[in-house]
Amino acid sequence: MKTSPRIDRRYRSLLRSGSAVIALVLLAGCASFSPDKGMSVVAGVADAAIRKDVIAIRSEDDARFAEETVAKLKSRVLTVESSVQIALLNNRGLQAAYNELALAEADMVADSLPPNPSFSVSRSVSGGSVEVSRQVAGDILAIATLPFRSEIARERFKRAQLAAAEQTLRLAADVRDAFYRATGANELVAVLTEAKTIAETTAQLATKLGETGSLNKLDQARQQAFYAETTADLASARQDASSSRERLIRLLGLWGRDTDIRIPGRLPQLPRRPDTLPLIEVQAVERRLDLQMARIDLLALAKSLELTQATRFVTLLDMSASQSKELGTPNRSRSVGIDFQIPIFDGGEVRVRQSAEIYNQAFNLLTEKAVNVRSEARDAFRTYRSAYDIALQYQREVLPLRKVISDELQLRYSSMQIDVFALVVEATARIAAQRAGVAAKRDFWLANSTLLTAVNGGGRGESQSQTTGTTTAQASAGGGQR
Amino acid sequence: MLSRRNFLGTATALAGAAAISGRAQAASIPEAPTMEKTSMQPPLHPSSGPDYNPVVTLNGWTLPWRMNGDWKEFHLVAEPVEREFAEGMKAHLWGYNGQSPGPTIECVEGDKLRIFVTNKLPEATTVHWHGVILPCGMDGVGGLSQPHIPVGKTFVYEFEMKHSGTFMYHPHSDEMVQMAMGMMGMIVVHPRDRSFRAVDRDFVFIMSSYLIDPGTFLPKVTEMTNFNMWTWNSRVFPGIDVMPVRLGDKVRVRIGNLTMTNHPIHLHGHKFAVSCTDGGWVPESAAWPETTTDVPVGAIRAFDFLADNPGDWAFHCHKSHHTMNAMGHDMVNLIGVSKKDIAKALGKVAPDGMAMGSTGMAMGEMEMPMPDNTLPMMTGSGQFGPIEMGGMFTVVKIRDGLARDDYRDPGPYQFPKGTVAWEVQTPQATPARQDGGKPPAKQMPKTMNHKGMKGM
Repeated sequence: MKTSPRIDRRYRSLLRSGSAVIALVLLAGCASFSPDKGMSVVAGVADAAIRKDVIAIRSEDDARFAEETVAKLKSRVLTVESSVQIALLNNRGLQAAYNELALAEADMVADSLPPNPSFSVSRSVSGGSVEVSRQVAGDILAIATLPFRSEIARERFKRAQLAAAEQTLRLAADVRDAFYRATGANELVAVLTEAKTIAETTAQLATKLGETGSLNKLDQARQQAFYAETTADLASARQDASSSRERLIRLLGLWGRDTDIRIPGRLPQLPRRPDTLPLIEVQAVERRLDLQMARIDLLALAKSLELTQATRFVTLLDMSASQSKELGTPNRSRSVGIDFQIPIFDGGEVRVRQSAEIYNQAFNLLTEKAVNVRSEARDAFRTYRSAYDIALQYQREVLPLRKVISDELQLRYSSMQIDVFALVVEATARIAAQRAGVAAKRDFWLANSTLLTAVNGGGRGESQSQTTGTTTAQASAGGGQR
Repeated sequence: MLSRRNFLGTATALAGAAAISGRAQAASIPEAPTMEKTSMQPPLHPSSGPDYNPVVTLNGWTLPWRMNGDWKEFHLVAEPVEREFAEGMKAHLWGYNGQSPGPTIECVEGDKLRIFVTNKLPEATTVHWHGVILPCGMDGVGGLSQPHIPVGKTFVYEFEMKHSGTFMYHPHSDEMVQMAMGMMGMIVVHPRDRSFRAVDRDFVFIMSSYLIDPGTFLPKVTEMTNFNMWTWNSRVFPGIDVMPVRLGDKVRVRIGNLTMTNHPIHLHGHKFAVSCTDGGWVPESAAWPETTTDVPVGAIRAFDFLADNPGDWAFHCHKSHHTMNAMGHDMVNLIGVSKKDIAKALGKVAPDGMAMGSTGMAMGEMEMPMPDNTLPMMTGSGQFGPIEMGGMFTVVKIRDGLARDDYRDPGPYQFPKGTVAWEVQTPQATPARQDGGKPPAKQMPKTMNHKGMKGM
């Protein structure tokens, strides 16, 4: 800050105190750019919540590292973990979010610096005289409120870091979701492919039996219908598999030749026993990023309310020092001016009330969010548990029983108690159970993913939508739904 | 079976003693012998009372009696039993004295019978002496001619056997269920004159049918028509004893029918004549020669023949599905479709199943996996291969030089050289046909051929 050496003494003390304020501001922590551009928080969250590496790609080394890691992970059949890692390194939307974070850091640094004084030179000609005036003006209030604003800016940056972290978790959640859907679709395709060959051979047998005179048109039509319906089912399952594969490819940020990913043909097995999470509500309230962000918002609002109250009577304070000289004359005039905007009409009351209401609103919204987070955590956990039980029921009871039924019917076929078409009827029931079993297993894994987001944040409505099948794993994991 | 019998026997003895005490002197009630073996027991020659030439019961036995003054006293215990239909299949039935059907009751024309009946069933019962002419109060029709015998109680029947012949006994109390559960037995009343229509071997059995789904043990007592177990003395081929006969013997076979349909019973290699019904003796002058005689529902037929043709002779019901064991009826006919096609389809729907039926149902010597507690539909094997029979089928084995009371299986018949049908060596050519031509063109029925979605 430059001041004229000729400023009237009377104002020197004022200026000195201004300098003191500035010094204070600088001492109070004039923000500077961090070496990691705010990524440490994101990396920390990603590590703690999903145990994954994240980097903001800013150099050729970064890019090479990312590329090599992705290539390595992609060379094997994908797992849910490797998919998430690929996406975190390769999804451009996420990188854009990290750019956004860097921008937020720049804003923070800008906000934590004192305002630059404005300097103006004007020349005026009146009659035969030319007057040149120079003016240096500084926003005193801005300087005075710098500590406040700097702190607010820091909170905002912290929020931006959490937002970036949340976006990271959200991408991870979306990838998990897409992975399980794609894998489940693959498994379903396998079941239906098998079903189709059954239907096809029995339809052929029915045709032959029509030729020998053993099967009437009605029964032939029934077998053909089974074949036709199974074929249609297979077609839509394949379509579903293809769409969910594309969705995964999008999330992984792959294109061109890189889209040759290999998705497993089967969903992972159920874990031996489900997690028991007695402290899930507490964990969710502690860890949910959206909740942390809302807390920061509230803190920032509290600070700005304080600021507003502090400045309620002086909303704008402009100080200017000017010097003018009439060219051609020895007269010089110097002046120092201070402009006050004095809130005569509302005494600043309106702004204070506004701030207070905004603060109260934010407080209530935070409270509501905390209530919701607890409920969502409970819901996600119960959904997870019931999805586990349902999937386990299919694996441990339904499918083994269908196997028993199938075996017993084969024995009955062998001892000529039933004919081959009775086996076909059983096969259709078995296929239906297998389909429901696949859907239940997929729903468990989706619920598992939802549970993760319910505790850590990053959930969103989109991934919850299209669950089909016998189970509903539709816990809304909810951050960011306001 | 043994342990079950022991258990039942003990329970019977204890409960029986409790039930009759106070009502009659325990000493006055004869023992109720039981039988565990399912094979044909040797004839029971009378040790008291008038002499006669005893019968043998196919896969059964004759109930011993005791003389009490001039009364022949028998004791029947109606009770749950376990009966093996053939090796590999057991049925949970109701019967008498450890067996279903119950033991054969043998006596002599003019005998005074006192028959104690103890009810060890879970419900009331009675015994009707089917075909026996007796006082109405002894006829055993629950509600009509006597009170039902309550659970755990013992009733006594007394009547004189006025006529020789062949009769049956069965409940007339909830009889549909009780007969469907196997409650029945035969009564043979020998003529007092031993020379009257005398024979050398005298076989007796009763026919009953059951529906026992593969893998189950209890008959379905509500079934009226679709039975899957057609039994002689609650046994099915190959569990039915053979009938060994000495060449030249005069043989009598007495058959009771308590199934719900008639049975044309057919003997190979001989002609016979019906000699007796449950109405009495058919005069020899009235008999006409037969090789098959129809045994109506609720009736008996006894036929006599001279075993003058040595060999192993099939003897069976001529309703072909009665010579099958458990089988399904709602089956598509696979004849005319190649085994390969069937195997392919089956391999898809039932990877462990077996393809069969494309040339008929003959399963030959295939080892078939089966549900628990059931029998192959057709089974049994002889010296030339599979016999492919089940149900009401056995073999009359006529041999030279058997001992009088020897009922042991003499083994397969030794055919004299050159007396068995043989294969003629001919070139593999189409047999000449009279019209010199081809078989009539088959009219192909319309078939459907809807392809699935292309490219799927």
